Amino acid sequence: MGLPNRRRTLATDDRGGAGQVGVDRLIHEPARLAIMTNLFVVESANATYLLQQTGLTWGNLGSHLVKLEAAGYLSTNKSFRGKQPQTTIALTPVGRAALLVYRRQLFAALDPISE
Amino acid sequence: MATQLPDLKALERQAFARFYDDGLFDLLLGLMMIALSLGAAIQDWLDSESAAFAVMLAAAVVLVISFKVLRVRLVRPRLGDFKPGPERRHRIAATRLALLGSFVLGVVAFGVVGVAGGLGISPAAVEVLLPLVWFGNAIVVLGIMAYLLDVPRFYFYGVLFGLVGPLLMWPDVLWDVRIPPPLAFGILAAPILAIGTWKLVRFLKTYPVHGAPEPETNLGD
Repeated sequence: MGLPNRRRTLATDDRGGAGQVGVDRLIHEPARLAIMTNLFVVESANATYLLQQTGLTWGNLGSHLVKLEAAGYLSTNKSFRGKQPQTTIALTPVGRAALLVYRRQLFAALDPISE
Repeated sequence: MATQLPDLKALERQAFARFYDDGLFDLLLGLMMIALSLGAAIQDWLDSESAAFAVMLAAAVVLVISFKVLRVRLVRPRLGDFKPGPERRHRIAATRLALLGSFVLGVVAFGVVGVAGGLGISPAAVEVLLPLVWFGNAIVVLGIMAYLLDVPRFYFYGVLFGLVGPLLMWPDVLWDVRIPPPLAFGILAAPILAIGTWKLVRFLKTYPVHGAPEPETNLGD
């Protein structure tokens, strides 16, 4: 499973794109960053909440959630409220730590830039 | 969607405040005031405190249940559902504590009024002090809600709700002018009900119900 790891984090010696600043590219994608930050400020949320907060479509949201879950950044829990199926999504401790690291890395990368 | 570092605290506040942008709490508060006015009117007509209390209690129960049902039926399908983080949960708990404290203070204040004669408190003193307690109680509890829930318009509601007490009792004491309870409550509840209605209509227009997710997304809500 080398590819997913390579996709997730790029070292500073990696060539090209966001890898130059050494940030987690899985989080760096705008839609996934929106999902991560919205989950960071709550304990858990359902899919409709994320849909509303991020402005994504069901299809987009679903595909990004699968990627983040595969990386261990979030967990999903399927249950029923009455007869209605419900998916509850929460950041894992790994996901919370990864977002904080990403934030620190991006600040560090932008720090030398003066306006 | 541009990549940027969001202010996480602001994001949390904005997400939570959106759940008070539906106007339902405003309508609940405004209708509670109308229910109180009904109780006060019944007390005047029937001269029965127990009948007035029963009407107010029944109305409050019906309103709170309706509020809960509408939140589930109208808000949840539009905004979804979330479990707040620890700091927000503490704020919500503190708000509930403030509401409970306000209720207890109200009951104690009206209890004291009932036995004021026995305690050596003159009716004139009651008519001056009770509206002050009412005003302070409303300002403090709705001010706490405004601050802890990040909904600034609740400060304004605190003033409106608080003015009911003085408006009902002080003109009578000062100028011998008796303002009927439905009028006093109605005047002060009207702006709250108007804001609530406007917010509810805007909310329903702004936030459509999301269709069911495609089966392949596996995201049933």
